[in-house]
Amino acid sequence: MAAITRSNKNNIPIAFWPLLALTLLGIGLAIYRLVVGLGVSTNMSDHYPWGIWITVDLFLIPVAGAAFTISLLSYFLGREDYHSIIRPAVLAGFLGYGVVGVLLFLDIGRWPQFYNIFVPGYINLHSFLEEVSLCVTLYTLILILEIAPVFLEKWGYTVPIRWIQRGIFVIAGAGIVLSMLHQSSLGSMFLLMSHKLHPLWWTPALPLLFYLQAVYTGLGATAIAVKLIWKAMGLPIDRVLFRRIGQAMSINLMLYAAIKVGDWMGAGEIPLLLRPDAFGYLAWFQFLIGIVLPLGILLSKLVGHTSGPFWAGVFALIGTFIERLVVSWIGLAEPNPVSYIPSFTEIFITIGMIAGGVLIYGAVVRYFKLFPDPEHAHA
Amino acid sequence: MTLSRRDFFKAAGLAIGGALITAGPAQASTGEADPNEYAAMLYDATMCVGCNACTNACRQWNKTTAEPDARLLYDAPKELSADTWTMIQLYQGESETSFVKRQCMHCVSPACVSGCPVQALQKTAEGPVTYDQERCIGCRYCMYACPFHVPRFEWGTAQFPVIAKCTLCADRLKDGLQTACAERCPTSALIFGKRGDLIADAEKRISENPARYVNHLYGKDDAGGTSVMYLSGVPFEKLGLEDLGTTPIPEISEGTANILLPGILVGGPLLLGMIRMTAKRGGWEDTWPL
Repeated sequence: MAAITRSNKNNIPIAFWPLLALTLLGIGLAIYRLVVGLGVSTNMSDHYPWGIWITVDLFLIPVAGAAFTISLLSYFLGREDYHSIIRPAVLAGFLGYGVVGVLLFLDIGRWPQFYNIFVPGYINLHSFLEEVSLCVTLYTLILILEIAPVFLEKWGYTVPIRWIQRGIFVIAGAGIVLSMLHQSSLGSMFLLMSHKLHPLWWTPALPLLFYLQAVYTGLGATAIAVKLIWKAMGLPIDRVLFRRIGQAMSINLMLYAAIKVGDWMGAGEIPLLLRPDAFGYLAWFQFLIGIVLPLGILLSKLVGHTSGPFWAGVFALIGTFIERLVVSWIGLAEPNPVSYIPSFTEIFITIGMIAGGVLIYGAVVRYFKLFPDPEHAHA
Repeated sequence: MTLSRRDFFKAAGLAIGGALITAGPAQASTGEADPNEYAAMLYDATMCVGCNACTNACRQWNKTTAEPDARLLYDAPKELSADTWTMIQLYQGESETSFVKRQCMHCVSPACVSGCPVQALQKTAEGPVTYDQERCIGCRYCMYACPFHVPRFEWGTAQFPVIAKCTLCADRLKDGLQTACAERCPTSALIFGKRGDLIADAEKRISENPARYVNHLYGKDDAGGTSVMYLSGVPFEKLGLEDLGTTPIPEISEGTANILLPGILVGGPLLLGMIRMTAKRGGWEDTWPL
C-alpha cells in the first residue's frame, strides 16, 4: 500500500500490473457474456437462477454502505472528526456501487432493454427489486455529486464546488434516505420467498435486519480501510474516532442480535438451531463469529485501541457475508437440487470488476487529494 | 442506452411520488375482478391415465420443442423447462400411485406479478397470468418468487433469453376457445371452466365419493387461491403440491412496501431535519455518545 502514496509518483506500484490484467480479463469476459447470453457463459440453471454475482452484490452493498453511515455521522450528528474520512469513504462507496451496478447489468438476461426499470408505465412499486434498482441508481448519482469536489478542485472549477457545498446537507440527506430505503429493501426482496428461504433466515423482520447489518458492516469496513490506509500512508490514526466507530457498531450489533434471537424464539425455531445439519451450523457460526465475537471485542477495553474496531469489523464482515450467501444462494430451496459451481466467466468477471474498482481507487489516491495531509491531520 | 436524462428524472420523480400515493391498501396483483369468474382448470388426478395428450396439445399450440429421451424415441421431459410448459409426472409410492399434471397455477394473487419490477408478468382480468417479453429485463426474480417453481428461463443458447411458462392459453381464450390441454384430454381428468363453477363441481365430487378423494380441493384457498385446482386420491405433498397455507404469498411483501416506502420517504427527511436543527444549536455535542 505504501507504493500508492503521492510521494513516489513516478514509480508504478507492483500491484498495478496484476490488477490491470485481471481488469482487462474481466472486461473481455463481460463483453463475451453480453454477446453470447447467460445460458452459454454461466452455470446458472432453473435450479439456481441467481448465482455468484447476486451474492457478491448483496455483500458489496452493505460494505459500500460505509459512505452512507459516515455521511450520517459526519453531516448530521455534527461529528467534525469524521470529516477526515468522508472523501475516502464516499469514493469507496461510489466504486462499490459501480461494481454492483456493472454486475447487475451483466446479470440481467435481456440487457438491451434494462431501461424498462425507469419507464413510468412499467414500474411496479410493489416490487422491492424495482425499488432497489431505482434507489441504487439515484444513490450512485448522489455519490457522484458528493465525490465531485475531489476532481473539480484539482481541475480548478470552484463555482460548482460552491454549489455542492451549499447543498451538501440536501445531497447527503437524500443519499441517507435512499440508503435507508435500498439497504432495507434488499432484505425485503426476500419477503416473497417465505416458502423457499430457510426458516432460520426468513423473517418478516428481514428489512430491519438487513438495514442494521448494513450500518454495522459499513462501519466495520470503514475501520478496516482507515486502519490499513492510514498506516500505509503514515497518517496519525485518530483513536477517539476509532472508539466512536466501535461504539456505533456495537449499538447496531446489539439491536441486530436482539431482533435475531427474538425472531428465532418467537417463531419457535430454536429446534432448528439444535439440529446437526449444515444450516444449523451456519446459523451458529454466523451468530457467534459475526455478532457475538465483534460485540465482545467492542464491549471490552479493546475498543480504545485501533485494532479493536479493526478486528470487530473483520468478523462482522465475515458474518454479513454468510448471511448474504445463505439468503441469496444456498438457503433458497428448490426441489431436486442440482449443484451450481460458478463458471470461469462468472468468477473472473467478478474478480475483474472488483480489481477495476481497486485500480481506480488507487489512481485517485495517487493523483487527487483524498486524504488529509499528515501535517494538518488533527489527532 | 437511449434513455435521455429528462426521461430518467421524470421516471425517478414519478417513482417517488407514486410510492407516496400508493400508501393506501392498493394491491396491484389481486385486481378488481371476481376470482369466481376467472378462467380456470380442474385436474382430477384419480381420472388421469398419464397419456400426455395434454403435453402434446400444449406443444402444438405453443410451438415448443420436444425434449426426447436418449434414443430420441419418446418425448420425456423430467420437469418444467423453457420448452415444456406442462407435463405429466408419476408418483409411485409403496402401495399407491398417481399421475400429476404440472403447469402454471395462475394464482389469484401471484407472487411473480408482485415481484416483477417492470410488470412484464400481469394478472389479466380474465384470469391468466401473462408474460410480455418486450418488458422483461431477464432478472429472474419471478422464478424465486413463485412458490410452485413454475417460471423457467431459456438457459440454452439464446442471446436475450425469455421467461417461459404456461399462459392458460390467453391467446385462445380471447377467441372464445378453451385451453389446448383441457380440450385434448380424453378422460376429462382435466376440464376447463369458470373458477367458481369448477369449485362447485369439485366439491360435489368429493362429497359424492369421499372414499376416492383426499378431502381437500388444492388451490381453492391454497396460497390465496389458484386458477388451476387439483383433486387427488393420494396426499398432495406426495405429488409435490406443498402445504403453502392460505395467505396470499405477496401479502407480507406488499404490506411492508405500503408501510416502509412512504414511511422512510417522509420519516427519513423529517428525522434528518430534526437531527440537523438540534446539531446546529450544539445540542448533540454533550449528549450523543458516538
